[in-house]
Amino acid sequence: MSVGLLRWGDALIGVLAAGIVATAFALAYTPAGEARVLVISQAGAAPQHEPLDRARVLEVAGPAGITRIEIEPGRARCADSPGRQNICEASGWLQAHGEVAVSLPNRLTLQVRGPEPGFDSMHY
Amino acid sequence: MRSVMTRALALLLATVLLAACGRDEPDTEQLGFYAFGTLVDLSLYPAGQYDVEAIGTAVQEELEILHRSWHAWEPGSLGRTNELLALQGEFSAPPSVLPLIERGREMEALSDGLFNPALGKLVAAWGFHQDEPDGPPPDAATLAELLDDPPGMQDIERNGVRLRGTHPDLQLDFGGLAKGLAVERVLELLAEHGVEAAIFNAGGDLMTLGRPEGRPWRVGIRHPHGGVLGSIELEGGEALFTSGDYERGYDWDDTRIHHVIDPRTGRPSRGIDSATVLHRDPALADAAATTLMIAGPDAWPEYARKMGIEHALVVLEDRIEATPALAERVQPGRDQEPFVVRELP
Repeated sequence: MSVGLLRWGDALIGVLAAGIVATAFALAYTPAGEARVLVISQAGAAPQHEPLDRARVLEVAGPAGITRIEIEPGRARCADSPGRQNICEASGWLQAHGEVAVSLPNRLTLQVRGPEPGFDSMHY
Repeated sequence: MRSVMTRALALLLATVLLAACGRDEPDTEQLGFYAFGTLVDLSLYPAGQYDVEAIGTAVQEELEILHRSWHAWEPGSLGRTNELLALQGEFSAPPSVLPLIERGREMEALSDGLFNPALGKLVAAWGFHQDEPDGPPPDAATLAELLDDPPGMQDIERNGVRLRGTHPDLQLDFGGLAKGLAVERVLELLAEHGVEAAIFNAGGDLMTLGRPEGRPWRVGIRHPHGGVLGSIELEGGEALFTSGDYERGYDWDDTRIHHVIDPRTGRPSRGIDSATVLHRDPALADAAATTLMIAGPDAWPEYARKMGIEHALVVLEDRIEATPALAERVQPGRDQEPFVVRELP
């Protein structure tokens, strides 16, 4: 097959090149800090990854009771957790890459992650 | 020609796919558990090289021993030491407590007394010698009594392993130092287990051992008011410690009572929400973070200089201030105002 001076291979390369440019453009201009996944880490258990793609409520049992986690597209929060100081709830909505909430009584951390490389550790 | 094009295309696609696969593959192994009264997180590099379970167990056991020995209000070596110091007679100190006393003396001297581990009675009076801190706060008469000729670390006489207390109100509480020393011990333990590189994070305070090949450690710093304050790249052997008013506290009559007590006023420190210190000595970083918070918004650079701290930042209600050296290393988070740089005097 040929169209004018182009052979089918030329057309394919053209389409692929255009696709790569479009993808690179989209990646470059997507907000890098946008959260996509919630990582629930509980002492003694493997971390649990929850995509931030739809609204739902999770309940995680810990030594002091239940931590209730609200998830909405692009964000998550510790809605209710044992402990009188309300440190976990006070962290509010976690929506930028790296944001973290901690429930010491239930021995768990909530951290949202975006597309950029993750942190090796979180200082708080 | 067609064959060359096809091969080039296949190579390009394979490269893109490999790059996509490699980007998210972690080169560290994570381990989390509860110890030393807090959440502990251990990142080991390279992944797949260690007996992670054995290392985790060793670290957990060591931390439990230290926690029991150094606890300020539960029975243990420090509790027994406090009982004997109060009797003001000479006694043989438990070996585990001696390093705390020596580093405590050093930090008290470096901080001109702002960091004073001998004020356990004052801390207890504010309701912080219990797992869930609670009021009522001490009344004015109690505070006046506690601040009249308060004890200091010089009120412990030491002769080898023999100690004697010389002040009736002397009660040791090594909050603001014990975690730093525990972190130091855990890093020694990891090195003894042949760990090449690691980050040990105890309740948010952390230290690095070595570093991954070809890259620094990447650490996010949480803002005490929520969100991410910024990020920093760490080399091997660097400790990052923060003292903040959000860590332990309670509300009383609509006032937030937090655990960092200013020995000058006998009350919770004011003006600085959190202080962060980066240093190669984790015990110094721990004590200096507490000291800078107590020093307050005007004097913190002066105390940083006194303690030999070049890398520090403090979070105030409306701004973040940092030393020039730390401002250069921390990449502020999204939507963060640039740091106000405070020169050390």
